[in-house]
Amino acid sequence: MMRMKRARLMLLGVVVVMAPSASAQDARQIMEEAQKRTEARSQHYEGLLQVFDAKGKASDKRWTFDRLGSHGTSKAVLRFTAPAEVKGVALLVVNHPDRASDQWMWTPAIGRDRRIALQDRSTRFFGTDFSFEDLEERDVSQYDYTLDGEETIDGTPCWRVVATPRRTKASQYTRSKVWVRKDNYAYAQIESFVKDEIARRLHYRQIEQVQGIWSARVLEMNDLRRKSRTLLTLEKLQYNVPMQESDFTLQALRRER
Amino acid sequence: MRLHPALFVLLALGAAGADAQSLSQRGFLEARLQVYPQEAESDTRQVFGDALFRQELAWQPSGWFSLSGAFDARADSDGRVERSWSLDWSDRGALRPALSVRRLSGAFQRGGIRLEAGKQLVRWGKADILNPTDRFAPRDFFEVVDAEFLPVTAGRLMWERGGDTFDVVVSRFTPSRTPAPESRWAPGPGLSVPVPGDIRRELEALGLRPLSIIDAGATYPSRAQAGARWSHVGQGFEFSAAFFDGFNHLPLIEGRLDPAEGAIALTRAYLPLRLYGADAAWPFRWLTLKGEIGYFTSRDENAGEYGIYVLQVERQTGEWFLVGGYAGEFVTREGAEPQFSPERGLAKTFLGRASYTIDANRSLAFEGAVRQTGKGAYLEAEFSRAFGQHWRLTTAGTLIAGDRDDFFGQFRENSNVRVTARYSY
Repeated sequence: MMRMKRARLMLLGVVVVMAPSASAQDARQIMEEAQKRTEARSQHYEGLLQVFDAKGKASDKRWTFDRLGSHGTSKAVLRFTAPAEVKGVALLVVNHPDRASDQWMWTPAIGRDRRIALQDRSTRFFGTDFSFEDLEERDVSQYDYTLDGEETIDGTPCWRVVATPRRTKASQYTRSKVWVRKDNYAYAQIESFVKDEIARRLHYRQIEQVQGIWSARVLEMNDLRRKSRTLLTLEKLQYNVPMQESDFTLQALRRER
Repeated sequence: MRLHPALFVLLALGAAGADAQSLSQRGFLEARLQVYPQEAESDTRQVFGDALFRQELAWQPSGWFSLSGAFDARADSDGRVERSWSLDWSDRGALRPALSVRRLSGAFQRGGIRLEAGKQLVRWGKADILNPTDRFAPRDFFEVVDAEFLPVTAGRLMWERGGDTFDVVVSRFTPSRTPAPESRWAPGPGLSVPVPGDIRRELEALGLRPLSIIDAGATYPSRAQAGARWSHVGQGFEFSAAFFDGFNHLPLIEGRLDPAEGAIALTRAYLPLRLYGADAAWPFRWLTLKGEIGYFTSRDENAGEYGIYVLQVERQTGEWFLVGGYAGEFVTREGAEPQFSPERGLAKTFLGRASYTIDANRSLAFEGAVRQTGKGAYLEAEFSRAFGQHWRLTTAGTLIAGDRDDFFGQFRENSNVRVTARYSY
């Protein structure tokens, strides 16, 4: 039996590579190809989060992000490094190919970890415009796709693909529109809908090659209902960094750095 | 035990010698002003100020070894902090130490095995407001409803394998800090009867020495305490089973009349305690259900045998995080009275907490408890706002009401408002 190719939507992760091929690809092939080009054994970056409310800039936060593995079996640890009052707060995300991820948050000030329940994933993550769900990497096989047309984003021709979660109860979003660049299969933009309303827009900026992988160096997440936005700048981005499985467990999460 | 300041200096020097990549630090300076609108019978002062400086250091010279340290310096306006400037390690004093080691521990890590030894925080349990299985977590109950956790000197071995974690702890006994005698929060009826202000004045008018309450010290256990916990994380549920053999960090308080001093002398005794406990969490579609139970036995007949359980639900909806539940108690053997036990005081109570994230810098939180008899309750509200990268200002108020013979009600003169400014770096 042929194994189904896996791919996933990578919101905080990365973006893609290689030369484009045919124009007559269907939506799933586009998404699978986009996924294939992001494959890496691991990923590390230092993120600068800048949150802007409706009136202007509100706060800066910094975190380090480590991801081990690829596709639906990856694990990631995100650890805040600034400001000082949240330093050490960490999130463990264990992704699954066939269902929503498991997530735990560690708060060193009270010495406790808390499982982030599925119904809590639509909540904003630490006052940013990313929700907990936006921090996970969902397998492409968890969505149905239709090609919705073509459009130019930031001067680059893109395919516009509509992704609908197969298990709607497991996602806050009813559907998403994903713009995939034709030149390198990198994501250019994602609009996520709650019912018929656009809830969030994620814009991938400064797309460049890092170790052969086309990667956005700046992600701009807009919460259109709150009229606020968060800029995530990926600094010191690296792929295939040596990492250990034991650093992606609940026990490791509790280890303060 | 007093720790020579040189040890802390050594830690700082060791850390300073490490390369910048393996060293991390953080800290804060916090100042708080607290106002009590009512006079208390045991203490007529109404305005208090205190300050806390905390410095934390972590040094990881290799992938398998790390060293962590944290140091506290405190001061206050009203004598709840010792005026001695020696560095405290044991956290056994009746007052808060002016200088203390909050953490100093070394940890060895190899694969899924971790061994940590030294002074550290050890937390067990899953519930949010009351944790009967959290036996290695004594607290500072100077202000009973707002109690910070105290560290313990312990060796802790953790072994994680798949979804299972085995946790073994051996610790030196650290007591919870009880309210100072004659302070606003000194417990009332059934424990140590504070001399009411009018009686005190009458005694003085008659030329008699007013009766006072003095701290006559404590008897601490000499042997170590130990515990083990097994936790399992499954797909969609988590549970733990725990066993503890040691001492109650909450004291049995005995009073005797000291004619020479014209005072009632209070002594604290910490009775043997054995815990059989469990906790679990089940995330469902609409909410998460959490439960925790501890059954306590003791070979000392002055200690009661009883069980405390907590059942709570929690849900995040929008920017609200809501927790609500019930803490219950069943007694299988009555113990001697009086005992200072906020843990049991919180039992037979409906508990709730709600927090709201207004934006990246502002948050609002409420916490409350109501006795099932309706005889006592407290409600706490807090608004917090960050300014820039370093400053946070928090305003909070606590309202306490109830009958004098209720655990909350005995503190009904202690409703208060407070403002806290914190600089974090």
